[in-house]
Amino acid sequence: MRALIVEDEEKLSDIVARGLKAEGFAVDVALNGTDGLEFAMSYDYDVIILDIMLPGTDGTEILSRIRKNNGHVPILMLTAKDTVADKVKHFDAGADDYLTKPFAFAELLMRVRALLKRAPTQRPNIIKIADLEIDRLAHQVKRAGNAIELSTKEYALLEYMAQNCDQVLSRTMIIEHVWDQSFEGITNIVDVYVHQLRNKVDEPYKEKLIKTIRGVGYILNKVGK
Amino acid sequence: MNTRSIYFRLILWCSGLIALVAVLFAAYIYQGLEARLYAEMEQTLKRRAQQIAQNILPQVYQQSPDNIAAAITNVYSPEANNRFIRISRPNSLVYISGLPKDKEFDPHKIPLPSSTIEPRRIAPISPHANMVIVTTVAEIEGILFTIEMGAPTDDINTALHGLVVTLLFGLPVVILVVSLGAYMLLRRAMGPVEDIMSTAEQITFGNLSNRLPVAHTGDVLEHLSVKLNQMLARLEDAYQQASRFSADASHELRTPLAVTHCELESVAQDQQLPEHLRDRIGSVLEETERLSRIAENLLIISRLDAGEVKIEHELYDLATLAKNTAEQISLLAEQKKIKMNITTAIPTPVYGDPAKIKQIVVNLLDNAIKYTPQGGAILLSVYSVQDKAYLEVRDNGIGIAAAELPHIFERFYRADKARSRQGGTGLGLSIVHSICQAHGATVEIESKENKGTTCRIMLPLAEVKK
Repeated sequence: MRALIVEDEEKLSDIVARGLKAEGFAVDVALNGTDGLEFAMSYDYDVIILDIMLPGTDGTEILSRIRKNNGHVPILMLTAKDTVADKVKHFDAGADDYLTKPFAFAELLMRVRALLKRAPTQRPNIIKIADLEIDRLAHQVKRAGNAIELSTKEYALLEYMAQNCDQVLSRTMIIEHVWDQSFEGITNIVDVYVHQLRNKVDEPYKEKLIKTIRGVGYILNKVGK
Repeated sequence: MNTRSIYFRLILWCSGLIALVAVLFAAYIYQGLEARLYAEMEQTLKRRAQQIAQNILPQVYQQSPDNIAAAITNVYSPEANNRFIRISRPNSLVYISGLPKDKEFDPHKIPLPSSTIEPRRIAPISPHANMVIVTTVAEIEGILFTIEMGAPTDDINTALHGLVVTLLFGLPVVILVVSLGAYMLLRRAMGPVEDIMSTAEQITFGNLSNRLPVAHTGDVLEHLSVKLNQMLARLEDAYQQASRFSADASHELRTPLAVTHCELESVAQDQQLPEHLRDRIGSVLEETERLSRIAENLLIISRLDAGEVKIEHELYDLATLAKNTAEQISLLAEQKKIKMNITTAIPTPVYGDPAKIKQIVVNLLDNAIKYTPQGGAILLSVYSVQDKAYLEVRDNGIGIAAAELPHIFERFYRADKARSRQGGTGLGLSIVHSICQAHGATVEIESKENKGTTCRIMLPLAEVKK
């Protein structure tokens, strides 16, 4: 997998590059728009992460040049501009996703992965993690064969975590998926729900699946992973 | 009536001046006319006296006194014409006219002239009239005869009285016409000022780019509107700079925050790091996240205040929205064993941006839960009175001191030092306030310390066709 990062903030491009490399990507970094456009036109990338405000050619211009050249590479816009009008403008110009600064790297990674496997993968109707079993059609949850009763929100939270098992999910990501942006200010709502979920899913069992990574968020995975 | 208004003062000055000029003019006319009428009368009388001296007096020695009298009566008939004629010589009377027809004066009571020739005015011979008497001397055969010719000034007085009456009636009319004219002229002259005023009245921070109409009069009015417009431009600049500043500041914070966040995140997930260090990094990360939220909220507020946010205008049910939102947040209350009651009058249709109103509900409920102790109660109600929809969140929590109440919508205001911020941004109520303003809704808070707080949002109720 080859990724191009076009971002003039060197520290930011650096850390994103490191993160992606750790995930097994081959990463190119361009620190200005002119280089970015040249890279994008010269090589075949699997994904491009593109800042909008850039010295030289700006991100919007690069985006439209790539799309005009019939490039189908998935492009994730990374920017401090967050108005709906900005987003719509770039989606219209052919962006595949849009992430607003500041962001959690976990979220960036998740979105990049989502872009890469967007097309075919059939999502299974039953998710199994260790002895936890989630039936997505019936909205039923079993642990070690015992049915667990969950409220709608608890189920939505568990399903979201299970779908993205082995990935750290920040509170912001959880709120945006399980609630909506109105709740963003009160991140402790996530903590309360995760606490409740733990009581039902983890408490009675020896193996704890839901883990806290302080300051970052939550992760659901098998022990020892 | 506003006696200090420029209208009143200008009109007063204008009519005062005109009245003064008119009075002076009238006095001049009166004096001129009076002098002229007297001069004419004296001339006439003098001419007649001289005629008597030339035509009748030379025969004074040849004719009997009766014949002289008959001649005078024949020519002048003084009694019928209300005239006075007397001819005398030293120490004796030659002729005196009889009592006039209207008996206004008694010829015998008129004193003899002390000196000769000068016309005399004798006053008053009746309540209404004076008399003018002209004297002429003629020498006949060495003896000096004095001829007096007199007439009452009734006619002159009548003419002058008529003039006074005319002027007295005319003056108020003139002043009235002048005042009306001045008022109309002023209205015309002030028209552009009124335009400027009514436009200026409509300018708020939401439409600072509007300009006042410029009156192309080439004078002080045009200057005024141009200068006011220049002031508006400077105001707009300053306001834009101020709101741009907070927007830019929060904007500029984003990239460094992103770097910090990502760096710390990767450290926090490093399994080789000792537990206590990871914990500390986590603590820093939590604060970074809070910093991000503060920057985000500031950006939201400055955009709302600058009128940059487009408020959606759709019809929705406030009651359902409040109820669903409360259910989503209810676990937070349950955690603190707070009983959350919901009474809603469904439907309560309102127009607006449901996402923004939802934000209000979330912020208010979050506050209520935060500041209500374990085992307390919260009541969320939605109802309507007449054409207003109300959303009310009432708690029996720690309340807010009366002295703090006026400040609670201020940014970063913390009602009580003892209240921990509990991870909040200090901007929750500011956002509620800004959203309400942008929506044309009002928000009010009542609170008693240790008794509880009630927060009420009032929105215009949508009219639903039945």
